[in-house]
Amino acid sequence: MTDYAVRFSKKQRLEHFVVMTTFLLLALTGFPQKFYEAGAARFLVKIFGGLDGARLVHRVSGLLFAALTFFHLSAAILSTLQHKMKMTLVPDRQDFKDAVQQLRYYLGLANEEARFDRFDYRQKFEYWGLVLGGLVMIATGFILYFPMVVARFLPGELIPMAKVAHSNEGLMAFLVVITWHIYNAHLAPGIFPFDPAIFTGKIPLERLRHEHRREYDRLYGSDVKTAEAAGATQEPAPEKPAPADA
Amino acid sequence: MITGRKGLISSALFVFFLAAPLTAGPKEKEEVENCLSCHGDKSASFKLPDGSVQSVYVDAEQFARSVHGTKIACTGCHPAQGELPHPEVKAKTKAEFAASFKDLCKSCHFENYTKALDGVHFAVIQKGGAAPFCTDCHGAHDIAKPESPKTRVSDTCGACHSDVAEVFGKSVHGLALAKGSQDVPVCVDCHKAHDTADPKTTSWRLKTVDACAKCHTDKALMKKYGLSTDVVQTYLNDFHGMSASLASSGQSPRVIAALCVDCHGMHDITKAKDGNSQVLQANLQKTCAKCHPGAPKNFTDAWLSHYQPSPKRAPLVWAVGVFYKVFIPFLIGGLVLQILLHLWRVMVNR
Repeated sequence: MTDYAVRFSKKQRLEHFVVMTTFLLLALTGFPQKFYEAGAARFLVKIFGGLDGARLVHRVSGLLFAALTFFHLSAAILSTLQHKMKMTLVPDRQDFKDAVQQLRYYLGLANEEARFDRFDYRQKFEYWGLVLGGLVMIATGFILYFPMVVARFLPGELIPMAKVAHSNEGLMAFLVVITWHIYNAHLAPGIFPFDPAIFTGKIPLERLRHEHRREYDRLYGSDVKTAEAAGATQEPAPEKPAPADA
Repeated sequence: MITGRKGLISSALFVFFLAAPLTAGPKEKEEVENCLSCHGDKSASFKLPDGSVQSVYVDAEQFARSVHGTKIACTGCHPAQGELPHPEVKAKTKAEFAASFKDLCKSCHFENYTKALDGVHFAVIQKGGAAPFCTDCHGAHDIAKPESPKTRVSDTCGACHSDVAEVFGKSVHGLALAKGSQDVPVCVDCHKAHDTADPKTTSWRLKTVDACAKCHTDKALMKKYGLSTDVVQTYLNDFHGMSASLASSGQSPRVIAALCVDCHGMHDITKAKDGNSQVLQANLQKTCAKCHPGAPKNFTDAWLSHYQPSPKRAPLVWAVGVFYKVFIPFLIGGLVLQILLHLWRVMVNR
């Protein structure tokens, strides 16, 4: 039987699920508006019951995404200030060293892969990409949602600017997801066909040791035997082995 | 479908017979002269059952000048009248008598005839209303080429649609038409001549963009007047153009986004730089407010006035566009490269 460690809390799993669902709906109702001349665009708009229907779904999903982002960031800031949470997702110098080490390994210049902590530089990149990109989408989305309000206080040129930014940032996010995220969470050798950790919340100890060696060593010691003694269980441990993260 | 030699011969024969009556020979001249011996008399008329007097006079000179004058004779259109005495007239009123000629054009002008059956005028006729069919617009014995000169079209439609014709006459297109321009659109260029559709429907309104685009994307034509051909693409790049082009997918939206005619006007369209133009910068706030009540002054800058963003026009929009044009390939390229490196390493390790 495989031994597991808890990797994601219920809140985190729910957050991922909401982001995944809203992202998908936003893409399905947003891209037809960007590529309005494509046959597929007309087909998708029809599926959502016409342009009004597609826009309603887009706006509701967008508001949900904005609310989630707001609560996620406020909770993260609050718990960090209260010292309940370590900033395990904030990039530091080690990430830079890890990235260089990992690329050297890929190129055959180093014999060993980088030893990552709780989140490797790729995961941090994706997390911050989502947060910052999400903030751009939310800000520009609101400008496009309420152009009259915006124009009362700010230059009108912000509205077409927001349209260009919203549509390009959306395209970029989508391209990152279908290349980077789909590769790392589905297609990469060793992961294929599917990394269930974000849905089940647990990760096999063997994978944790391989992919997050520094975290593993910190939690269970560098010896595998001590890991078992440390009480890694098949079921998620009631107490989180790792601190919550932003 | 016509196939093989047999088909070829029969189609050649068909074309021959079709073409035969199109050149008037001595036989046709004789026939016309025969008919005109009675119908050339200005008093030629007969009494209808309702008591009205119907003239059957044909102006010989007028007919000779008409497009058919040198090509077909009387029975070409009135085959039943080849016999003497003429068959009894079944019509009881003048209107019924006129209606009985409705199908005479069909045998030669079949395509336009069937198109007219789809038109809004025929729909009115079918409901028992008064609306024009072939001869009401084209004339009968005085038929001339319809668009020579183009003013004939707007005069013809204007005979009934006088209110619209008057407004059109003062528009940028109407004024140019009056000066003899043959480039400007007249009624039928937008509304179609035969399959004229009901202009009040949503699907027709959405097609108006194509009608404007037909001329306003024509580079050679627009160059003549110093007008931009970017107007359609810049409109489509805007929120309104994108929304309008998706409006026909699925259920049409509650509000159709502004089309060309909503800002520029339709029959009353003026030069964009004209003082009365709805799209003049000074009048724009009012024009936006038609759909966006209470639009603030800054709101008009949201519309880029058919300019492509550039460092001079809308620099912010331009800069953001350039940023993504560089950043997206850079970022995605980097990520894909790292994926490929990873795969390569996995393969080498095996």
